[in-house]
Amino acid sequence: MALLQIAEPGQSTKPHEHRYAAGIDLGTTNSLIATVRSGVAETLPDLEGNHLLPSIVHYAKDGTVSVGHSAKIFQCSDSENTISSVKRLMGRGLADVQAIKAFTANQLTASGIGEKGMPAIQVFDQIKNPIEISAEILKVLARRAESALGLQKDEQLGGVVITVPAYFDDAQRQATKDAAQLAGLNVLRLINEPTAAAVAYGLDTGNEGIHAIYDLGGGTFDISILRLEKGVYEVLSTGGDSALGGDDFDRAIAAHLVELAKVDSDDRQAYQMAMLKAREVKEALTDHESIDVHFMNWNGQVARELINKLMAPIIDKTLLACRRTIKDAGLKPTDIKEIVMVGGSTRVPLVQEKVGQYFKQEPMTSIDPDKVVAIGAAIQADILIGNKSNDQLLLLDVLPLSLGVETMGGLVEKIIPRNTPIPIARAQEFTTFKDGQTAMAIHVVQGERELVDDCRSLARFELRGIPPMVAGAARIKVTYQVDADGLLNVFAEETTSGVQAEIQVKPSYGLTDSQVTDMLKSSIEKAEEDMQLRMLREEQVEASRVVEAVRAALDDNGKLLLSQDEYEAIESSVIQLETIAQGTDIEAIKEAIKIVDTNSQEFASKRMDASIAKALVGSEVDDI
Amino acid sequence: MKNPFELFGLEPNFLLDEQELSQKLRNMLQSVHPDRFASGSDQEQLAAMQKTTQINDAYGVLKSPVRRAQALLQLKAGLDGSKEVTVKDPVFLMQQLELREELETLSTKKDMGGLMDFAETIESMEDAQIASINDLFQQEGENQLLESDKILTEIYKLQFLRKTLMDIDAAEEKILG
Repeated sequence: MALLQIAEPGQSTKPHEHRYAAGIDLGTTNSLIATVRSGVAETLPDLEGNHLLPSIVHYAKDGTVSVGHSAKIFQCSDSENTISSVKRLMGRGLADVQAIKAFTANQLTASGIGEKGMPAIQVFDQIKNPIEISAEILKVLARRAESALGLQKDEQLGGVVITVPAYFDDAQRQATKDAAQLAGLNVLRLINEPTAAAVAYGLDTGNEGIHAIYDLGGGTFDISILRLEKGVYEVLSTGGDSALGGDDFDRAIAAHLVELAKVDSDDRQAYQMAMLKAREVKEALTDHESIDVHFMNWNGQVARELINKLMAPIIDKTLLACRRTIKDAGLKPTDIKEIVMVGGSTRVPLVQEKVGQYFKQEPMTSIDPDKVVAIGAAIQADILIGNKSNDQLLLLDVLPLSLGVETMGGLVEKIIPRNTPIPIARAQEFTTFKDGQTAMAIHVVQGERELVDDCRSLARFELRGIPPMVAGAARIKVTYQVDADGLLNVFAEETTSGVQAEIQVKPSYGLTDSQVTDMLKSSIEKAEEDMQLRMLREEQVEASRVVEAVRAALDDNGKLLLSQDEYEAIESSVIQLETIAQGTDIEAIKEAIKIVDTNSQEFASKRMDASIAKALVGSEVDDI
Repeated sequence: MKNPFELFGLEPNFLLDEQELSQKLRNMLQSVHPDRFASGSDQEQLAAMQKTTQINDAYGVLKSPVRRAQALLQLKAGLDGSKEVTVKDPVFLMQQLELREELETLSTKKDMGGLMDFAETIESMEDAQIASINDLFQQEGENQLLESDKILTEIYKLQFLRKTLMDIDAAEEKILG
């Protein structure tokens, strides 16, 4: 019989210690953080009681960074150094974003540290890229959660779930994950905003059936069709536009105001004021039919009807995406049992009216559309960190945009079509074009169009060292692997010779891992010792996570699936790791973790097979 | 590695119960999805991702009539069902031409109602095509030999109908702007 182990007080983590996790909605206009406390998921306010943190960052000349309401004050007075809607720049190329009027030409520059064409913003003598700016917002939110949860100085959030628009492409997702890493956060999972909203609603109502989530935020629009059955949220299809949102309403109204007031439309400050006024007008007309407006030297009445006329074409665009997405799910609008409204822009009466007409039913708005995404993310974070081990809730999401590769003539060959459930892997074989060809360029693209130029370029890499053969003889197998975060890895292999190349898709407009690490290092303005201590602490946390996970697995069915030798090998490596983790040698801890990982690889795979076998038996029993 | 039917614990049949299929998918993923191991060891996370990938891929094969038929043909006759086939059936070739022509006419006229009706026609042709593929698979046993070449041709016809439906969608999208 195995002896019961008793840890020395304060030396080891308790087996089911409550860990702190949070859900973050990193929005175009506003951001929120939520967490589950005593079984209730709620968004967390700042000291003044504000739940919404405006996604605005201001850089002062002396280097002071302010975020949120304190940055908003500078929007008119120091507009050049105040950045709002940075989410619109994430994972984009400079050329993509020059069209967005929210950023002036002299604000936008090419990034100094980024790859070619990655946009960045000039603030005084510094250049800030979108990932750094987003990280500032994330840091403020994380600090808010830490103080709300009463964490001590050396305690951190165990992990976060960050939401992204379902329609975000690989580059945009990667940029979001990089921003979190830069902010020092452990990302448990990136989840799609509409899926998070569905979780918040599903738990609220326990409704089974097919739901549509209509999510119109400040700068992005998503529509997702989900089937909720026995706690499983299966996304059937998703669509939208990652550059369409409530900001576009403001822009349309602002352009009209500028026209009415006969102001020079190139006047940056006047334009900023028009945008602020436009938002005010839009919000006031949510509850009123008509209001008095004073803008610059213009005074007059603005009726809801007028702004409805300006907004209608934008809303129609969203309905077109709804149509396509419902079709992709193989359904008709009448199959949708419920339509859930998410995002601040769905407060606009015309949006509710038009969506209601299209789906022929009253849209659901019972949870605050601004908070619902963060709440759903918090619920998922709590499950992923392991606080609710027996919960049946499971999210099955899909790839929002097709992934392909460039072939001859600038055409795209699709490798994984959109709406394929993730994680997924697909391989495709290609061959050489010329006799004796020894290298092949692989250009990874994402999008639905047939021409490479109309799709988003994700990455380019080369497979070298192909043995010279006649044209068409080499077999190059390109494998795309999309993980549960929706992030892509690409492997290429010449199968007759075994020459390989692998890249994690670090997009054309992103940062490399080492750039992220460098930025992380330079952003920590602490002494080298503190840095060492932090790294040690992180490694120890990782070690105890591994120990706990492998122990739990061994207890569960180790005896059943492993021979005595195998069992003992894993167990002794775990004990070894536990001992080493109490020391201060970071490298030794890393090495010990690796040994446990290697020893338990086969076991992990066997456990999966055993689970599948059990699940299949279970479903047959259900059938009877 | 297990074939898609085995992985789902199903007999290799062309006909299958979609509800049962998605129930099995849910049951399996409940226990192996990466979310179940988000705070597990790296090895567990990797194994979970690999298994879920296999299950998702197999589900994709089983759910699509074309891919399911191809997988079955591979299994039963060792034939690569995705290879190019030349269809010599003149009736089918004629019909192919006519369908393309009708699509062309409706798109030029921007006739949304007409396109939707046309899509319904193609959908019922698809159902009939699936039924005839099923018949061919069922014959095995009675006549003993599987008419695999004939099945290949019928799969090709089904693919053509699928492609036409996608083109109708594209035409509708274009009209709607």
